[in-house]
Amino acid sequence: MDYKWDFLIVLKNIDPLISGLYGTLLLSSVSLILGLITGLILALLRLSKFKPVNVFALYFIEIFRCTPPLVQLYWIFYALPILINISLGPFESAIIALSLGSGAYFAEIFRGGIVSIARGQWEAGKSLGMSYFTLMLRIILPQAIKRMLPAFVNRAVELVKTTPLVAVIGYSDLLYQTVLLSQRSYRSLEYFTFAALIYFVILSIGTTLSQYFENKFNN
Amino acid sequence: MGAYNWDFLIVFQNLDVLAKGLLLTFKIAASSLVTGLIIGLVLGGMRLSKKKLLSFPAAVFVEIFRNTPALVQIMWFFYALPILLNLQVSPFMAAFLSLTMNNAAFSAEIYKAGINSIEKGQWEAGKALGMNFLKLMQRVILPQAIKRTIPAFTNRSVELTRMTSLASTIAYGELMYQGRLLSEYLYRPIEIFTTVALIYFIILYTGTIFSGLLEKRLSRSD
Repeated sequence: MDYKWDFLIVLKNIDPLISGLYGTLLLSSVSLILGLITGLILALLRLSKFKPVNVFALYFIEIFRCTPPLVQLYWIFYALPILINISLGPFESAIIALSLGSGAYFAEIFRGGIVSIARGQWEAGKSLGMSYFTLMLRIILPQAIKRMLPAFVNRAVELVKTTPLVAVIGYSDLLYQTVLLSQRSYRSLEYFTFAALIYFVILSIGTTLSQYFENKFNN
Repeated sequence: MGAYNWDFLIVFQNLDVLAKGLLLTFKIAASSLVTGLIIGLVLGGMRLSKKKLLSFPAAVFVEIFRNTPALVQIMWFFYALPILLNLQVSPFMAAFLSLTMNNAAFSAEIYKAGINSIEKGQWEAGKALGMNFLKLMQRVILPQAIKRTIPAFTNRSVELTRMTSLASTIAYGELMYQGRLLSEYLYRPIEIFTTVALIYFIILYTGTIFSGLLEKRLSRSD
């Protein structure tokens, strides 16, 4: 019953864990950037007055929000390559799945933020002769983004929480390395506890940051 | 680009396998939803307590489960917990325990916010009538708080159902797991994963719509 903890074994095998952590951070940051771009595009499509574009964006968002990320990942890794006859490695599949998945959520945040800007701002910009894109870029988005910041950080936290799923398609992230090491050494308890701790530290920073922004903008 | 020959017939022939998986998806979702809601209420109450001895452990529990990935939690319960306790943990048990705890942590925050949203006057009125804490909670605070938090809880159950697919990674035989097995067995990943995605979509989309309607309805009656 008395289990002898041995965290020394984790330290001895820290190299693969660090390279796994690097994989997690790389994947998170690339998908975050691509997800934000996808989200902004989807939000603009959603706000379009041209019905087919609007409906397309709506269903795109709903499909990604109403299916589990794991199903999306399997579909993109196993089904998509056959369907369009290309080859996708674990990294590419993971990037596509996480960017589109988080993009669907970012789109709703962007949309909410853009809609929240008073009409007068649009009219003022238009009367100054600004085009749609100039107006969006210079007037609407800078104000909207400030309001959306807490929601964005929350979503980024969710994105990092989703990254360990990529271990199941063989992308070498922190969880993947943890599984490999624990299979080799029968020290699952130490390895999984360690991995959970690392994730906890990263995600707590994000959660704290999000709360900080929320308090800051509420005052 | 060669045109792909879709063959959904093969999925229909194996629909019973997916149906079996779907049943287990419902089983794990329902059991961890109900248990998580009960534990969450206790945790939420502890978090609101003025006694540090109660509020602190509850806060730690909530933060741990909210700030680690659900998949890591499931794997921890499946691979690490058995070593710690020196006993067998089945895939169902591991998935049930981790999803329940995860759900409890998120639910605790909803309960807390709901209870906090009830005006101070209600507490004072109850106390003036001589109600003790539990009576007051049960008769005055919770009925109102629960009404306000129902939309958040329906969202939570949609999230939880979404999360159950993670149990496939520890070989619990729910929908995602059956889908993976079938696709390996039949070499038809496109049709099978599309069908699996569609089934999840129908369930979760219905849940989302329902939650939206409920929210509208409840806000009207306030």
